[in-house]
Amino acid sequence: MDTETSNVELTERLKLIESMMAEGRHGTARWGWTFVLWGVAYFVATAWSSGLVGGPVWAQRLLAWPVTMIAASIATGVGISRMKQGQPATTLGRAIGATWMAMGISLFIVLMSLGLSGRYDTHVFVAIIGGMLGVANMASAIILKWKMQFACAVVWLASTVVACFVTENQAGIAFLAATFVCQIVFGIYAMILESQRRKQRSEVVNA
Amino acid sequence: MHDPAPDFVPELPDLNPVIHGKLRLALLSLLAGVDEAEFTWLRSKTGSTDGNLGAQLMKLEEAGYVSVEKKFVLRKPQTLYRMTEAGRAALTEYVAALKQLLGAAI
Repeated sequence: MDTETSNVELTERLKLIESMMAEGRHGTARWGWTFVLWGVAYFVATAWSSGLVGGPVWAQRLLAWPVTMIAASIATGVGISRMKQGQPATTLGRAIGATWMAMGISLFIVLMSLGLSGRYDTHVFVAIIGGMLGVANMASAIILKWKMQFACAVVWLASTVVACFVTENQAGIAFLAATFVCQIVFGIYAMILESQRRKQRSEVVNA
Repeated sequence: MHDPAPDFVPELPDLNPVIHGKLRLALLSLLAGVDEAEFTWLRSKTGSTDGNLGAQLMKLEEAGYVSVEKKFVLRKPQTLYRMTEAGRAALTEYVAALKQLLGAAI
């Protein structure tokens, strides 16, 4: 084997090491579907609670959000339990998982308390959801060094600020716009990225 | 005119033969990025057969570069692999040796 061939082979090995290490890290980043699921759930809950879906008024007021959120939580739980089978455990994955789990539990407790106490208000609702999702997205974006997710965090935080200064209807529109961009569009983008990565991987070892 | 031969030629490092195999190198690199991984995950990432993968993992285990834990989860057998400190040190050393061999080529 001459020097040039040897250098090519050694360089290939360096690339193999880099790609395999990255593969381990990417194993924790297949969460695009959860963004889409929760984005759709927010839209369904909003449509139901505002009477677009129909049904009795009491159901629209009392059931729309709790039923939709519980259904989305169950669907997320089922999806995650299936996804985790065979997946590696990583410190990175645990850090991001902890961030989102803490956000979800806090959001549930705060919104449930507001709903039960009757102090529910669209401004407060949008400000809290936007703020909490902004924090979770920002923490995740900083851990993953992912600019797109950081942009989502900024959009959520912007919706929080907007909700504090505008009318109730405008706050609702800000919430739906942020949901569309940061949950549905970002979720689909993450899913496309993952599917592209899946195509590129695997045969590195056999190449 | 030829340059005079240098007085001192630095000794090039040997590459660790246990790590040098492509599949073993891929396995160690995969394990370097995670805390622990199942056999099935390693198989899907490397595209290797069960037999070959098992044999290469055993060589890494014998060298003390990976540790194995076998357990049952919901009555199904699960084999977990972790990189040991010795494995991490060996991979780090291997990468350093590769870079030294390649020198200016990278």
